[in-house]
Amino acid sequence: MAVETDTETEFGEVSRLRGAIFEYVSLGASVVGLLALAALLIYVFVDAFGLATASPAWLLTYFLTLVVPYIGFCLYSVGDRAFTRKVALALGGGLVVTAVGFTAIETLVGTIPRLTWQLAYLFLVATPTVASVTFVASREPVGTVGFGLIGRLIGGAALGCAVAVMFIVIDRPLWFLVYTLGVLPAVGVAAYGRRTDFEWTAVAAGVIGLVGFVVATVLRPVVGIYPSDGLIYLWTLGIPLAVGAAGIVWLREASRKRVAAVGGSTLLAAAAGILLGSSALPNGSGVIVTGATVAAIGVYLTEAVDADAGRQGLLLPVLLAVGALAGAAVVQLVGITTPEMWLTPEYVTSAPSNTAAEAGLYPAIVGSIIIIGIVAVLSFVLGVGAAVFLEEYAAGTGLVGRITRLFQINIANLAAVPSVVYGLLGLGLFANLLGFGFGTAVTIALTLSLLILPITVISAQEALRSVPDELRQGSYAMGATRWQTIKNVVLPEAMPGMLTGTILALGRAIGETAPLIMVGAATTVFSAPSGIWSRFSAMPMQIYAWANFPQEEFRYGVVAAGVVTLLIVLLAMNGTAIIIRNRMEREH
Amino acid sequence: MSDADVTADLQRSSGLSRLKESGYAGVFLTCAAITLLTTVAIIGTLLSDALFFFSEVPITEFLLGTNWSPNPRGEGLSFGIVPLVIGTITVTITAAFIALPVGTLTAIYLSEYATKQVRAILKPLLEILAGIPTVVYGYFALVYVTPALQATLFPDLGTFNALSASLMIGIMTIPMVSSISEDAMSAVPDSLRQAGYGLGATKYEVSTSVVVPASLSGIVSSYILAVSRAIGETMIVVVAMGSQANMPQIRETILGIPYINPGDVLFESGMTITVSMVQIAGGDLTGGSLPYDSMFALGLTLFVITLIMNVLSDIIAQRYREEY
Repeated sequence: MAVETDTETEFGEVSRLRGAIFEYVSLGASVVGLLALAALLIYVFVDAFGLATASPAWLLTYFLTLVVPYIGFCLYSVGDRAFTRKVALALGGGLVVTAVGFTAIETLVGTIPRLTWQLAYLFLVATPTVASVTFVASREPVGTVGFGLIGRLIGGAALGCAVAVMFIVIDRPLWFLVYTLGVLPAVGVAAYGRRTDFEWTAVAAGVIGLVGFVVATVLRPVVGIYPSDGLIYLWTLGIPLAVGAAGIVWLREASRKRVAAVGGSTLLAAAAGILLGSSALPNGSGVIVTGATVAAIGVYLTEAVDADAGRQGLLLPVLLAVGALAGAAVVQLVGITTPEMWLTPEYVTSAPSNTAAEAGLYPAIVGSIIIIGIVAVLSFVLGVGAAVFLEEYAAGTGLVGRITRLFQINIANLAAVPSVVYGLLGLGLFANLLGFGFGTAVTIALTLSLLILPITVISAQEALRSVPDELRQGSYAMGATRWQTIKNVVLPEAMPGMLTGTILALGRAIGETAPLIMVGAATTVFSAPSGIWSRFSAMPMQIYAWANFPQEEFRYGVVAAGVVTLLIVLLAMNGTAIIIRNRMEREH
Repeated sequence: MSDADVTADLQRSSGLSRLKESGYAGVFLTCAAITLLTTVAIIGTLLSDALFFFSEVPITEFLLGTNWSPNPRGEGLSFGIVPLVIGTITVTITAAFIALPVGTLTAIYLSEYATKQVRAILKPLLEILAGIPTVVYGYFALVYVTPALQATLFPDLGTFNALSASLMIGIMTIPMVSSISEDAMSAVPDSLRQAGYGLGATKYEVSTSVVVPASLSGIVSSYILAVSRAIGETMIVVVAMGSQANMPQIRETILGIPYINPGDVLFESGMTITVSMVQIAGGDLTGGSLPYDSMFALGLTLFVITLIMNVLSDIIAQRYREEY
């Protein structure tokens, strides 16, 4: 009888324990890196926002006025009793568990530097809860509308700011002439050609644009009087924005009143932007920020108010704004001490300094935006072009086949070349041999474009490969040529995938430091660059420079704020890429 | 549909449109050719300055010299790469001690144990590890990891040390090992696993004795890629490891056998090939001087090493792949 219950059979012992241990060890290994990074991120956030000095009352106030209403909104959007109960349990139970657990660790093991149990609760319980309710709510109509509106608000303003920053290095009067004499007539001719199907208009538009550009460059030194920068922005960007926004609404077949409302409000906002004073952006460029924000919101609103469900979501920005104001009011009235934050609006809009209290990241942010703008154009064009050749023109055999294979192997090897070697390429070729200068935007942008080129090519190739062959065959069957097929069928279909890949690659470029050091980018510049040929700094360069400062305030305050700024920009870029990809997947 | 539309205009393929077609093909070919030109330009720039360097400094002195001082104050220039190689090897091996086992276990967990939902969450999260800018990792190592290690495990750790830099490089390269290895493990056909279960093997035995050997070529090639990445890593070591090109102290055991105490290299500041390049770039960029050229000699060394490792990993992945 005893033999049957014995695990030791003639097949040998079957050890469950060993298997279980192995499973949990490998699970632990999968998360150990993530946990380490999470701990480091918590510390850098605590330092950047000075949360270690935050009083519990301050944390409680904002928790009640911002976080709780936000979670409430998400729960309302989901509208599921069981889910609400689960979230409440997590928040309440988490409070007890963190308070008890944290105190136990502190008494038994030792103090945990710069953390309190309230902060631990904030990061270990509240943040994951907020993330998960956001994720669940984003699939419901109310949440979708609310997050969509917030996204338009932030996205429009951020894009507007980025464009405004790009204009720092552009000669505004020249741009005014080029736009008036070249861009505007060319666009007009092209639009006319679309309506009349006249074959030669594309060529004509190109010629007119080119002539306009040449005339503008000739006229630039001759003409003496130009409108103010604000008016130039309004004429060249504000009005096209308003027309474009109205056009999108019109294409959706909205009523004439709505088209006029969106166009008019965008124009009005852009005009009001002239008056908007700002310490950081150059004079008048508020036009682009307000115009882009209102255009994005307006276009979204005309869509959202007609939706069958989820209109309540439009109140989310109001809810958050009221919450923030209420929190600030309570803090003021009760006299709660506010923590000493490092990452503040002044930090983002002022120049670096040798004293920690005055140090800012503004020139580095401007440098990064301009460099990434140039890199985006260069690497997208080159990456897509190379990918189109490799996927659409390449053959398996013959000379072209051999060339294609060579390109393919070469790209795979380029992707593995260390970034510091690309820095040497930039130094030897662009800075010294071609004389583009040390640390200029041109040198840096060219170097970074070549650095991320393999990544953009590979991701664009994947996007092109995912276009089903039936579409191409269908186009050829209609008598289209190869270029017509690529232009009208393949590229539009692959565009979201290629955009996603390029944005992810740009995320890599924005954090690169080693090549920038090699080509002589400035570690610290005290004012925004004046042109693309002046010496640039960038966010990672500034972090690198500050990390060497021995003072505590720099190490744990100023640099932490810089790191968090960089990470927020990265998060925004990658988030945009993921949203584009998800939308693309939903459409197919 | 009017009658005029029915008669197809088959003669439209004029000279202009043919010209347009080949013109666009040419544009795309040019874009693709730029990727090749990049390689040519890298090799060209590295070689031209490196060859000049080697005409001044004999290549044997460069490869065997044990003193690296490109910015002399008072004494003569000396270009011996050995201390830099020792620093690079120290960092790479220590990082590999983190990345290879953790990455392999992660790959096994993802491919064999994780449910579909867990994998869908864990895989993109792991990619974040590789997406954090390296200068940020360097800052973490210098400002958080080193003080934490000093307070707990190693009280005599220097402010700048190889250990915390290597730890961060290890964490950064985990996803490189795990994602390539996991691809290889997922490619192992289920019939092999079923055969293992049919023989009475447990899940643990199937994972370690069937799946891992069957995907070994992929795992090894991921190791080589991760190590090559660690060798070329720059900013983490620049920020956290300092810049002291020292030869490690050679101690002797009681029996007279020489050895190097790992603590001597790990707990102290050191210098890798990449750090010395950045250090020289911080001083002199205009060209023409010997330190400037030495940068390119170092870059060439780095380029050749990573290229060889990349080709090696490719060969292993191709040649030793089990075809199913």
